[in-house]
Amino acid sequence: MNGKAIGSSLYAIVTKQKAFIAILVMLIGMLFSHTNFYSAYNLLDMLNSTSILLILAFGVTMTVVAGGCDLSIGGILVVSGIIAIKLLDVMPMGLAILIAVLFGAVVGFVNGFLVVHQRTEPFIITLGMGLLLTGVAQQLTDAHPVPAKNPAFMMIGNGDILGVPNLVLIMAVCFGLCFWLMRYTQFGRNLYAIGGDYEVALYSGINVVRTKWIAFVLCGTSAALAGVLLSSKLNTGSSIYGEMTALVVNCGVVVGGTSFAGGIGGIPQSALGLLVFGMLDNVMNMLCITSYYQVMLKGIVIVAIIWLDCFTQKRKREFV
Amino acid sequence: MKTEGSEVILSINNVSKSFPGVKALDEVSIDVQRGTVHGIVGENGAGKSTLMKILSGVYQKDSGTVVFDGKQIEHTTPYQSMQSGLAIIYQELNLVNTMSVGENIFLGRFREMKGMKGTHAKARELLDSIACKVSTTKLVSELSVSEKQMVEIAKALSFKSKLIIMDEPSSSLTSEEMCQLVKIINQLKEQGISIIYISHKLDEIFEFCDIVSVMRDGHVIDTKEKSAFTRQELITKMVGRTIENEYPPRPLCVGDTLMEVHSINTHKLHDLSFTLNKGEILGLMGLVGAGRTEIVRALFGADKVRGHRVLIEGKPTVIRNPKDAKDAGFGFIPEDRKLQGLILPFSVESNISMASIRKFSRLGFLRKSLEKDIGARQVKALAVKTPSTKTAVRNLSGGNQQKCIVGRWMETSPRIFIMDEPTKGIDVGAKYEIYNLMKHIVEHGGAIILISSELPEVLNMSNRVLTIFEGRITGEFDPQKASVNEIMGAALGIVEGCV
Repeated sequence: MNGKAIGSSLYAIVTKQKAFIAILVMLIGMLFSHTNFYSAYNLLDMLNSTSILLILAFGVTMTVVAGGCDLSIGGILVVSGIIAIKLLDVMPMGLAILIAVLFGAVVGFVNGFLVVHQRTEPFIITLGMGLLLTGVAQQLTDAHPVPAKNPAFMMIGNGDILGVPNLVLIMAVCFGLCFWLMRYTQFGRNLYAIGGDYEVALYSGINVVRTKWIAFVLCGTSAALAGVLLSSKLNTGSSIYGEMTALVVNCGVVVGGTSFAGGIGGIPQSALGLLVFGMLDNVMNMLCITSYYQVMLKGIVIVAIIWLDCFTQKRKREFV
Repeated sequence: MKTEGSEVILSINNVSKSFPGVKALDEVSIDVQRGTVHGIVGENGAGKSTLMKILSGVYQKDSGTVVFDGKQIEHTTPYQSMQSGLAIIYQELNLVNTMSVGENIFLGRFREMKGMKGTHAKARELLDSIACKVSTTKLVSELSVSEKQMVEIAKALSFKSKLIIMDEPSSSLTSEEMCQLVKIINQLKEQGISIIYISHKLDEIFEFCDIVSVMRDGHVIDTKEKSAFTRQELITKMVGRTIENEYPPRPLCVGDTLMEVHSINTHKLHDLSFTLNKGEILGLMGLVGAGRTEIVRALFGADKVRGHRVLIEGKPTVIRNPKDAKDAGFGFIPEDRKLQGLILPFSVESNISMASIRKFSRLGFLRKSLEKDIGARQVKALAVKTPSTKTAVRNLSGGNQQKCIVGRWMETSPRIFIMDEPTKGIDVGAKYEIYNLMKHIVEHGGAIILISSELPEVLNMSNRVLTIFEGRITGEFDPQKASVNEIMGAALGIVEGCV
C-alpha cells in the first residue's frame, strides 16, 4: 500500500515535474563528458553551494503555497549577515546569530502585517521591503565588505562533520523540518487550504490571517538564517550579495512546480527547482562555458521549463 | 422516532435582513421539525439563499431570533454553525480544488484527525456510509459535480450535523445522480437528521419533502404539509402575481432560415446540428452541465471545436475566435455577467463601446467624443438607469448591468444574438424590460438563441425549444403546443428520441 503510493507519487514527479526532467537530462548528459562531475567531492560541493539558496527556498515556498510570495529575502539575507558579523565584536557568537535570525523574523512579521493583515499585494510590498533593506545594508557597511574577526564563526559555514559540509547538514535539517511542517502538521495543511481557496478556508474555521502571517515570519527567519550562513561561509558581510537572490529563489520555487497562484507545490518540489539552478551552474562550470553564455542558458532553461509546463496544461484544457 | 418527529430543531422567528436598496428578508418565520425534509421553494431573488446564509453565519441578520437545537444563535461564523451541527451545502460548492477529497472533508481539522492517515481513514468511513466510491486521495478538481456534492455531504456528516441545508442541490445533477441523492436524503432522515431542501423544481418537492414553505420577495407566504398543497396552488403562491404580467406577448415574426449549424463535436457535445430562423427566439433547454453553454461558446468561437460547419444565409462561415463571430454578426451575452460580461471598474460608456471600438477610432487613435455618443445613445435607447455614462458599471444594479451588455452588442447591430441566462439574478421588473428588448431585437430582423434555467422564461419567450441532454439534442418543441412535462422529460433524457 505504502510502496504503491510512493511508486505513484514518483511517477507523478517524473511526468509532472519538468524540473526533474531537466535534472535527469543533465545527469545523463554528464555521463558522456570527460569531467569529474561524478566525483563525491564535486557532488557534495554542488550541494554545498546550493544549500543557502535551498534554505531560502524552503521559507519562500511556504508563502507561495499560501498564495503570497516574498521578494524581500535578498534584503534580509544581506542585512542579517551584516548584523551577525557586526555583533560578533561585542557579544558571544551564539547571541549574535540569534539576534540576526530574530531580525529576519521581525521583517517577516512586518511583511505579514502588511500583506496578510492589511491585505496588500505581496509582490510589491516585499519588493519594496527588499529595496529598503538593501539600502539599510549599504548604510551599515558604507557599501564596503565587512570582514569577520572570529574564526569560530567562519567554521560554521566552512567546516564539515565526517566529510559532509556543515551547510549541507543544516540545509538537510531545514528540509526535514519544513517538509514535516508543510506535510504533517495542521499549520501546513491549512497553508495549502488558504492558497487553494481563501474563502473556503475562512469558512472552514481556519484562522487564515494568523496562519498566513506565520508563513511570512518563517520565511523571514529562514532568510536570515541563510544570511548568517552566507556571511560565515564568505567570512564577510556585504551589501551586494543579495541583489538577484530573491528573484532566483522565487523563480526556482515556481520552476520546481509550486504554483504562484497558491495551493499547489511543496518543499521537495522547491528543492528540485533550486537544484536545477545549482546543478546547471556546476555543469556549465565543468564544461568551461563562458559566463555570458551561462546567464543566457539559465534564462533559456527557466523559460523552457515554465513554457513546457503551461503548454501541457493548455493542451489538457483545450482538449476537444 | 415518532416522538422525536414533532420536536422543533430549528426555529426562525421574524428574521429580517436588508441590503442597500433591497429588503431581502422581511419578518421571516419558519419552524423545522426534527427528522423531516423541509422544502423551501421560491423564485430567484425570493430570499431563500439569503436566509440560508444568515443561518450559516455568512451574513448577520438585522433583527429577529434563530433558535437551533434549543440554543439561540447570535453572530455565528460559518465554522461555529457547522460545529453546532448545522451544515450547508451551497449551490456553488465550497471545496478547495487543489486538495484531496479526504483533506477537504476535514479541512482545518488535520490535528483532530491525527494526520493524513486518520484523515483518509475517517473520510473513507464517511463516504462509505453514503455509498460513495470516490477515492479519498483524489483531488477535488478531478471530481464531477455530483461527486463533489457527495463529498460536501460527507463533510456535513463529519460534523455530526443535526440539520443539513441543501441549496438547489439538483441543479447540476443527472437523473441517476438525483436518484442517488434521494436515497441519501432518505437515509439521513431515518437517522433523525433534518434536511432543508431548497429548490424551485416542484417535482422534487413533491417527491420527497414532508413539509413545504413557499417564499416570495422576502416573505414566507405559506408553510404546510406537502399533501395539503396542490401543484397549482404551490405555483400560484411561488409566483404570486398573474403570469400574464411577467412576460410581454410572444414575438411572432419568424422568417426564413438564417443560420444552419452542422455537427458540432467536442468532448461534451455529440454531433449537434440545428437551424435558426430570422426573427426567431430559439430556446435551449437542459440541465446545467448538459452542454447548453458549450454549444453557444463553440458557436461564438470561445471554445475550440473541430469539423463543424456553420452556414449564415447560405454562406459557409468560419468562426475561429470571438472576433470572427463578431464580424459574422454575432452578439453574445455570456453566462456570468460579472466575470465574462463586464469590466466592473470601467465606466458604463467604456463597457458599452467595447465591441465597437473600431467605429470610434481612426488610425488606431480613439475619438473620445464618439465613444461618449455611443454610450449615451445606448443608455437612452435601453433606458439604463445610471447617474451618468461615466459611472463605474460596478455600481449599477444587475438588470442595468445586463442592459449595458445588450447595449454593447446593439451597437454592432448583430444578426444573431446569443443570450446565456440573460435574466439570472435580476429582479422581476428588470426581467420584463430585458424581455421587451429581446422582442425588439427579433422584430427588427435579428434572431436570438436563448439559454435559461428558468423553464417559464424559455416557454414564454421562445418560438421553438430544443432540449439538450448530455450533449445531444433530445427534442424539438413548439412551446405553444407542447406540455411542460414533455419538454422537461426530454431535457432530463427520459422520453423522446433519447435511447
